Amino acid sequence: MVQTVAWITSLVFMSLIVIVFFAVAVKSKERRDYEPIKKKWYKARKFYATTVITILVVAALGTLRQLPYDQPVYGEAVEPTIVDVKALQFGWDMSQTEFKVGEPVEFHVTSQDVTHGFGIYNEDKTLIAQTQAMPEYTNVVYITFDEPGTYEILCMEYCGLAHHLMIGEITVTE
Amino acid sequence: MSKDIAYHYEDKSRNKLVAAYLLTGGLVIGLMMVFGILMLLNQGGILNLSPATFYQFLTIHGTGMIGAAALAAAGLMWYFLGQYVQLSKKIFVWNLVLFIIAVVMVIVGIFSFEYASAWTFLYPLPALSANAWGTIGALLYLVGMLVLGTGFLLLYIDTGRAIIRKYGSLTKGLGWDILFGKKDVKDAPPKAVIASTMVTIVNTTAIIAGAIVLIMNIINVINPSFTFDPLLAKNLTYAFGHVFANAIIYMAVIVVYELLPKYANRPWGVSKLFLVAWTCSTIFTLVIYTHHMLMDPVMPRWMLIMGQVLSYANGLPVLVVTAYGALMVVYKSGIKWDMASRLAYLSMFGWVIGVVPAIIDATIVVNHVMHNTKWVPGHFHMYMGVGAVVMLFSFMYYLAKVDSDVQDTMLDKIGFFCYAIAMFSISIQFLVSGAISTPRRWATHFPEWMGPAQFGAIAGVFAVIGTLIFVIHFIRYMKNRGTAGSDMYEKKLA
Repeated sequence: MVQTVAWITSLVFMSLIVIVFFAVAVKSKERRDYEPIKKKWYKARKFYATTVITILVVAALGTLRQLPYDQPVYGEAVEPTIVDVKALQFGWDMSQTEFKVGEPVEFHVTSQDVTHGFGIYNEDKTLIAQTQAMPEYTNVVYITFDEPGTYEILCMEYCGLAHHLMIGEITVTE
Repeated sequence: MSKDIAYHYEDKSRNKLVAAYLLTGGLVIGLMMVFGILMLLNQGGILNLSPATFYQFLTIHGTGMIGAAALAAAGLMWYFLGQYVQLSKKIFVWNLVLFIIAVVMVIVGIFSFEYASAWTFLYPLPALSANAWGTIGALLYLVGMLVLGTGFLLLYIDTGRAIIRKYGSLTKGLGWDILFGKKDVKDAPPKAVIASTMVTIVNTTAIIAGAIVLIMNIINVINPSFTFDPLLAKNLTYAFGHVFANAIIYMAVIVVYELLPKYANRPWGVSKLFLVAWTCSTIFTLVIYTHHMLMDPVMPRWMLIMGQVLSYANGLPVLVVTAYGALMVVYKSGIKWDMASRLAYLSMFGWVIGVVPAIIDATIVVNHVMHNTKWVPGHFHMYMGVGAVVMLFSFMYYLAKVDSDVQDTMLDKIGFFCYAIAMFSISIQFLVSGAISTPRRWATHFPEWMGPAQFGAIAGVFAVIGTLIFVIHFIRYMKNRGTAGSDMYEKKLA
């Protein structure tokens, strides 16, 4: 699950930062000549900067290879199910709401009034995909459901006073 | 002798104005925290606010926090920049006056006319509220924001003018003549000037973008047959909102640059790498707003990829240059820890740690399942609440120290730990909420999402207590302002 990876990665790096700042604060009570410190830590910075840049480059290269914007490569004779989604204050108008496990689905999402957010939640209330529902534009969500169940469509962009009540439902069966 | 007296009078009068900025900012920030607590209590199922009330609180909380922090940070920047260039006091006063007019308009628009578009006012929501608010409320809010922007624009035009007059151009204010080998690095502008130049460039651009989208929204509210492209409007809104909010920390960090070397009694000079870092920050800050639009696949693909890549790169100047430099200055320095230096150090920690969830969320595949969840406020409460706002508090204590005989007390120390732990806890509960997919800007939560919100509300109470202690200290300073002469300045920090 992407959220778990994001959370653990954040915790690891945030913990490192806490340790470094705490250690420097503890060491701040000592008083040493600055020149040797500068010499040592400017040298260390080259290694540190290289490490940080390497991590960021690897992370960027790794994560940019599979963008959610791209239409998946469908197998031969496999036609995706196209679902037209129109958001409006405060509900979802969908051309189809029942799907099969393993069926490739494309939600073509737009809005009839203001900007909304089309977020698909599974039964564990975990967000599994989303896009913005914009007036005058159509954004596409590509998804193939792995699990049967009742999925909820929640609004992910503030759209007015009943924003939190803008909940739709879709069903996925075996 | 008479010259000295004139100098002291001028100094005191400048400090009085700067203090007015800081006090206004501090009080508004404290008050906005109360709205934050009320919202968390509602989301936690403890309060039962009407949706209209909740979203009005949401709108005032975001607008007030950004506006107040930007105002106080502008006061901080003006204080330090004014030590190197000749700034206009009149414009500084006008900005405060326009800010207060804007605040009144925004408050009346929200609470008397029930306007609640959130501070991001995404077109065409101001005009299409499903009858929740009317034209007058929308106009009061949008025109109020325009008035606020006008004040800040005047201020940045003046800072730009003053920098150009002293250094020749804005690029020279960023030290480009040194980077291109025309001058030696020892002749580089001071850090306060470099940071102020960056902020002048990015915020002037941001405010112009904001003014365009505000004016188009205003016309649309008055005459709904006038429409414009929603995607363009969204770009302009984030080009304004992201940059303006981001620039707060670039103004506020000046206090860290000025204060830590004095307290640690160590030099923190300008290097070529420092100049490169600030030029990069200028460019990145202007262009990375597209990371707010990663879930708009209709945007040009290259802009979205750049949104991720440059958001990553934007972490480098602080991670490798500013924070690293601050840690080196403090390490084994025997630094004198008082409220100002403690807060300055904490603020660097807040900035750096806030970079982590920001980079994570700017990753497109992550954004696909975390955009507009509470992960986003988790990041910016860390970055703003533990970073930028703490820099403002640090400056408040610094000013009190160098311009009065008001001493830090045990209560201030308690306030420090109270605020630091509370604001960190608030940020973490937002991140936890985001990790479990809780959408942001929802008036109510499903039961499984309520726990972190309840915890955040409790932590919020302690953050308000900490803020109150800081503001009370500052009010004590304002009552005793000028009781320490400027000759005491260096002596008190040593």
